[in-house]
Amino acid sequence: MNIFRLLITPRFVGFKNNLKGPGGGRRVKILTLTVVGILFWLVLFFLFYRVLAYFSSQEMIGDVLARQLLAMVLLIFFSLLIFSHIVTALSNLYLSQDLELFHASPATLTEIFLSRSFYTVIDSSWMLIVFGLPVMMAYGVVYHASLAYYLSLIYVSIPLMIIAASLGILVIMVLVGFFPAQRARDIIFFLSLIVIICLYFLFRFLRPERLVNPDSFVSIAQYLGALKSPDSPYLPSQWATDLLWTRLTRYPGSQLLNYLLLWSTALALMVIDIWMAGLIYFRGFSKAQEAKRRTHVGRRILEKTVSALTRPLGPDTTSLIAKDVRTFFRDNSQWSQLLLLGALVVVYLYNFSVLPLERSPIKSVYLQNALSFLNIGLAGFVISALSARFIFPAVSAEGNAFWIILSSPVSARRFLWSKYFAYLIPMLILAEVLIIYTNYLLRVTAFMMVLSSATIFFLVFGIVGLGVGLGAVYPNFKHENIAQVATSFGGLIYMISSSVFIALVIVLEAGPVYTILSAHFRGEAVTHVQWVLITGSFILVIFVQIVAVKKPMAAGLKSLSRYEG
Amino acid sequence: MIILKNLTKIYRGIKAVDNLNLQIPQGTIFGFIGPNGAGKTTTIKMMTGVLRPTKGSISIDGLDIAQEPSQAKRIIGFIPDRPFLYEKLSGTEFLRFKAGLYGMEGARLDEDISDLLNLFELSDWADELIESYSHGMKQRLIIASALIHKPKVIIVDEPMVALDPRGAKLVKELFKERARKGTTVFMSTHALALAQEVCQQIAIVDKGRIVASGTSKDLEEQAGVMGDLERIFLAITGGLASG
Repeated sequence: MNIFRLLITPRFVGFKNNLKGPGGGRRVKILTLTVVGILFWLVLFFLFYRVLAYFSSQEMIGDVLARQLLAMVLLIFFSLLIFSHIVTALSNLYLSQDLELFHASPATLTEIFLSRSFYTVIDSSWMLIVFGLPVMMAYGVVYHASLAYYLSLIYVSIPLMIIAASLGILVIMVLVGFFPAQRARDIIFFLSLIVIICLYFLFRFLRPERLVNPDSFVSIAQYLGALKSPDSPYLPSQWATDLLWTRLTRYPGSQLLNYLLLWSTALALMVIDIWMAGLIYFRGFSKAQEAKRRTHVGRRILEKTVSALTRPLGPDTTSLIAKDVRTFFRDNSQWSQLLLLGALVVVYLYNFSVLPLERSPIKSVYLQNALSFLNIGLAGFVISALSARFIFPAVSAEGNAFWIILSSPVSARRFLWSKYFAYLIPMLILAEVLIIYTNYLLRVTAFMMVLSSATIFFLVFGIVGLGVGLGAVYPNFKHENIAQVATSFGGLIYMISSSVFIALVIVLEAGPVYTILSAHFRGEAVTHVQWVLITGSFILVIFVQIVAVKKPMAAGLKSLSRYEG
Repeated sequence: MIILKNLTKIYRGIKAVDNLNLQIPQGTIFGFIGPNGAGKTTTIKMMTGVLRPTKGSISIDGLDIAQEPSQAKRIIGFIPDRPFLYEKLSGTEFLRFKAGLYGMEGARLDEDISDLLNLFELSDWADELIESYSHGMKQRLIIASALIHKPKVIIVDEPMVALDPRGAKLVKELFKERARKGTTVFMSTHALALAQEVCQQIAIVDKGRIVASGTSKDLEEQAGVMGDLERIFLAITGGLASG
């Protein structure tokens, strides 16, 4: 067990050293992260508190809804935990750079496996604490729960976490065993497909759109029945729901069976994992050491398209963009996220397609246009989130090879702007598809269609500018994994700046949109004073957009110039 | 003593290492040389238990690496060609961590760490984070970490990468001194002058097979070329004819 403790120490010591490091900047970073974390917790807590307080005020169905929400939250957490464990186990057990050091040491296979599984649990489960705790606290507060509830949160979440971890690790061990060596690309592709399919089924299973329309059910009993799906006695998240709900409502029945189910499943799966590791883990690791074989499918088409599109920008920019596209599609951790992006877009569009607008008590035409306006912000945030993952790390993605750029005749300005244009075009296309298609689903007025398409078009320029620029201000060329860059302090600053930028544009446009739509629906003309205000607002919007592109790009250039000669 | 018997590694139908047989006596500095892609690193990875052979066996001081991996690894000091270092640990912390993996602890260990840091001229940087080290300093730290548990066998893949002449001389002397005391050194390198200078036995490997082996004299005879190892190497691997 000493060796196990030793194997997990480097990361903790490294973390401690990182905190101890010099510079006041570090303290500011920690403080900012703490403040943002607390704010996020508070927002999530109050959101759930309001929803649950509203539910508990509803007779008959209030408790049913709250229980179903709990079941849904736990089911989603549980599914995400399994997926997260699969992804982190792949890198922790098979691809991490320090594994060679461990396998060449006298540590036994079980010790190595257990220590890497421990890392996997830590890497994957922080999400449960960050997102789960405020939700569970809101339940506790609304239902005036006793200490037993808060204690049972610990007893329930630990086995739930172990079950998810063991399942995730087991899946990855079996997959790596089946697939030819180093075919992480295929594995992740396969897993992403599973996630998309699961997401689809989860949504179809829940059918949340039906719940806003009780009229479509013949009786209350049927409505309540519909609310209760999905409910499965075989799901560990269901055992956890039953247990926590009993504690919340102080229902007198015993929950011993659910406790036993949770803990015995967790322990049994742990034993199975260790046993399986003894059989197949080293074989999989050994395979992962073997060289990759490249696949050539679709390579030529992609290269020709990129070359044709970038030719007018000159050979140096073409070369930079072509390199970025090639490395993007050859890096499994990067391109496979496109599939997840696809799932995100599908879910986003699906939500709009099932909105029961015609049954809403608010006049439909108002609602459609209001939703369309809010949708600009929502689409902006989706683009921001994607930019945080793909565009913000673009400069850092050069990694240890950044010296090639520095020693080449390409200037930092050209380098940075080539990144900007490489990402601008796909983001513009995606944003416009999102907005135009959702507007089509909402059947909005021509004015809103033009306004939202134009607004998102210009928003993307700013979002990409912030991403590329701030990515150069906070570069990390020594990252072990590009995903780390997106979740770094700089990534957080980018998300905050981008959100503020989008919110600012939306707020500036809200007044003019309200004035024009109100006048349109009342059949009145917009007054001269109103036109002046509208024009002023739009000029301000243009100003904000220009600042959002110019300032971060200039700051990025200044930051990169530190590395030049 | 190191014994490799019928060692073979096949990657998707390609034989990276093809039926390798070697017997290296204790206290020998053994040079393992060959062109790029000849199978040197694959052989070393199998010898250190990082890669599973497709066929064959490896015995390190009487311990089979597949049957008794922990015991065998305990007596090996491994210096990989592209080593990993925890950038956020200090030099001392890394050495202590590495020693821990080999079951070492206590006051004696602090002395050993201090001695090694002195030997490799890293004492002034002992408590600095590795991320602030130069390339050469990192290589010296890696070599120090491979020696911390006083291994009976040192397996090293390209030892002189990034070392300045002073560092290179230090490593050469160290290997010679350890060999005199009974440590076996298995060294893969492209630096032929280094191999000629320090190795008592050399094997030339090409396309996964040993094409010549023995002392420098034996190699001269096998190649039919007299002179330095570079000429012998090129003659055996075909470089001389084509060049």
